Amino acid sequence: MVEELKAGEYQKELFERLRKNIDLKREEECFGACLHQSMWWLVEKKHPKPNDILKAVSSGCPSCSKPENKVCIQDLHNAIQRSAKDKALTKFICKEGKRGFVYPIAQGDALYGYIGACYASEDVSPQILDIFAAFTDTIVKEVQKELELSKLYETVRPRAIALSTVHTVYRLISSTLDLNELLPRIARLSLQIIRANRCSIKLVDSTKKLLLPKATVDLRAKKAILKKVAVGKFAPGKAVKFGRPIRGNNYLATPLIDEDVIGVLTLYDKVDGSPFSAFDQEIMTTLAEQAVIAIKNAQLYKEQEKLTMGAIKALAAIFNARAPGTYLTRASFLRIAMIMGQNLHMNVAELKNLEYAVLLHDTGQLVIPEEVLSKPTKLTGRELELVKEHPSRGVEIIKHIGALKSVIPYILYHHENYDGSGYPKGLKKNQIPLGARIMAVVGAFEAMIIKRPYRVAKSMDEAAEEINKNSGTQFDPKVVDVFMAVAKRKDIRSILEREEYEYR
Amino acid sequence: MNIDDALGSEIHLKIIRFFHENQASIDTPRGVATWIREDRSKVQKALEDLVGLNILIAHRAPSTTGYSYTQANTVLSKIEKFLKRRKGA
Repeated sequence: MVEELKAGEYQKELFERLRKNIDLKREEECFGACLHQSMWWLVEKKHPKPNDILKAVSSGCPSCSKPENKVCIQDLHNAIQRSAKDKALTKFICKEGKRGFVYPIAQGDALYGYIGACYASEDVSPQILDIFAAFTDTIVKEVQKELELSKLYETVRPRAIALSTVHTVYRLISSTLDLNELLPRIARLSLQIIRANRCSIKLVDSTKKLLLPKATVDLRAKKAILKKVAVGKFAPGKAVKFGRPIRGNNYLATPLIDEDVIGVLTLYDKVDGSPFSAFDQEIMTTLAEQAVIAIKNAQLYKEQEKLTMGAIKALAAIFNARAPGTYLTRASFLRIAMIMGQNLHMNVAELKNLEYAVLLHDTGQLVIPEEVLSKPTKLTGRELELVKEHPSRGVEIIKHIGALKSVIPYILYHHENYDGSGYPKGLKKNQIPLGARIMAVVGAFEAMIIKRPYRVAKSMDEAAEEINKNSGTQFDPKVVDVFMAVAKRKDIRSILEREEYEYR
Repeated sequence: MNIDDALGSEIHLKIIRFFHENQASIDTPRGVATWIREDRSKVQKALEDLVGLNILIAHRAPSTTGYSYTQANTVLSKIEKFLKRRKGA
């Protein structure tokens, strides 16, 4: 450790600590009488000149501090030289006949300075000096240990903080699977870590010839300009082409490498105007490795979502094939449900589940005979039982798709009533999942305004009024309030009117 | 709370000093509490105060929030002057 530090800096800090060391002061007090009230001093240099010695002892020794006593200083200087040579405690007698000694402060072969005493009235016994040397050694070793620990702390702390930053960044970028959220987040975090003004993330297109801008964050501009770049052109293009970072004074392009190069993360203009360094490049290479994993995960998740949505749409299409234009969930009802979910503070995953559930909510009607579904007269007891089974029948169908597991409660309970009078379980109030409570309102609205073979459709206002009338009994009042506000929106009205025309 | 209040509060000042000395750092409340040896809940509250004052930036994710230092030169130079004055005093 000591070798790593500059020797001069180490020596200076060692002596600063020795001068302040409480144990050394105590030693001076304890040994005061034994050493015949001698004056103590510390000399910081390995080969001090007489002036250095004079400076160290002048405030303490009445003899050495006299300007005429140059010889006294010379005696001390000689003793220090002998002590340096022997690396041992060396006694001396000064011009005024006073006794003293010098003891080297060393660690291994390295000699840093001396502790000494002079102006003792009598000679000090060798036994006392042995004890003094042992005590001093212990104190010096303790101080050296403290110093090394402090240096170690100073060296390790910034690295530990940097490591903690890397860990935090990893947690932040691994917590989202939405590319639209992930890429700007990576860009912002990169700007923070490197203290740069602009960050741009570009991904390689399917032809592998172009880099498409996906996220740009510029601290100086309100609106970032997004530009395509050809692979091989400019710093980002070159980083992708050669698969290694490209660094200039005011830019640093780091390729995003998985099995192949999937994109590039480029930083521009450090905030303090300094050039990008090799250290910045190292940090960004580490961050890029983490970013690639997060980007690949998000891309895979998106693919899986597409697959799931494809499967759902296929199911819905099969269902619709039985009675075209009758049971297929219309875009307007899906939109109403999604806006209600957002206004009721559902999170991203819950909204996704709601979307799937709205599309699949009546899948269970597949197993109900067509004549029952389209019967224009009142249903018999058995027929009504069959209809009431459709939520659980729907669950039976979709339960085989693992990705839809969390959608099941929404589908199973979308015919439950707020007062407990619904089916299949007779759940009440908050026992019914929020998604199912939303679907109950939207489903009822849908059923009332769409023409059926067996009844006349209500107008939108009449249907909304009917929903409002059943607030607190059939429907959750909180959900009804949100629905009433959404149903009044002009954009929703126009979509509903347009669809009514299309489906007519 | 304004910037002067924050600079006058011991825990806020410790956090500001940490980020001023480690400007590239992004850390969680637990991490910051470790570095400045303070209680995590107090640190969490102080971090949010400093976000409100635009001294820190919060990077929010469902599982945690990472905090990093401002890049605004006006705020940075004000803090720089304050810390220098305090060191000199």
